[in-house]
Amino acid sequence: MSEHLYTYGVVDDDEFELAIEGVDGGTPIRTVSYRSLTAIVSDIDTLEPERSDENVRRHDDVLREVIESADGRTVVPMQFGMVFKSGRTLKSVLRSGRRAFRKALLDVDGMVELGVKIVVDEGATVDDDTVADIAERLAAAAERDVENDLFSDRLCMNRSYLVAYDDQEAFSEAVQAVRDDYEDLTVQYSGPWAPYNFVDIQIGAAQ
Amino acid sequence: MLLVDDLLLKPFVSLLNTIHSMAIQEMYDVSRIRDELKENQLLYELGERPEATYRERRTELEAQLDVAEAAHENLSGRVEVKR
Repeated sequence: MSEHLYTYGVVDDDEFELAIEGVDGGTPIRTVSYRSLTAIVSDIDTLEPERSDENVRRHDDVLREVIESADGRTVVPMQFGMVFKSGRTLKSVLRSGRRAFRKALLDVDGMVELGVKIVVDEGATVDDDTVADIAERLAAAAERDVENDLFSDRLCMNRSYLVAYDDQEAFSEAVQAVRDDYEDLTVQYSGPWAPYNFVDIQIGAAQ
Repeated sequence: MLLVDDLLLKPFVSLLNTIHSMAIQEMYDVSRIRDELKENQLLYELGERPEATYRERRTELEAQLDVAEAAHENLSGRVEVKR
């Protein structure tokens, strides 16, 4: 019998079930609430789930389904691997972090995250003006954006964009315009994701 | 002449220590290994790296990361990686 709760994220006051497989095959995806905060969870046997490709994909799939199943439900995502010993400990964390969760829910209300990486060919370079132009054009189509690590010499831009759920098409058109104008650059466009890069809630070790 | 021998050997010992230290820093550089893992994933997603190569490289890097993280944990604070 599963003892623990794998937690995907937190939404505003709600109650639902999703018939999809979560991390370690946990199903159904269900909710645990404390006052007006609702955590999305599935049962799990271990406190330390393996960070396999399949589990990471399932974590993201659950969050996407949470967003899509209500046409843009706002979700504050948890990082992969957040397991609570019981519903009681989870509720205790929701209680102690309620102000931070409420603020985060307001910050990303009605928004999703989209990612754009600009990649150059091996050994090629790109001038700063080009990168600035692309960044400026995409930022104009988003509510907010953040710069992420340039973890490879091949990357000249790596940014995440916070975009209203209903404005995704307009943002995609801005990305396509960049592709059309800079054909020698590779544009990797991903999402929609839960807004991982726009919330910052630290949860202590007492899980 | 023990004293003269010591003085002659000292620069070489110092050089060897420096090389050894650089090798340790490279081996235990958690940030570098994480960056390489992300780059490996990126090149695979772009179709520039075949799946077999991607998986093989990822296995290598994950093993390196385990070693580096364990070293940092065991030596807590005594390993400093300068980038």
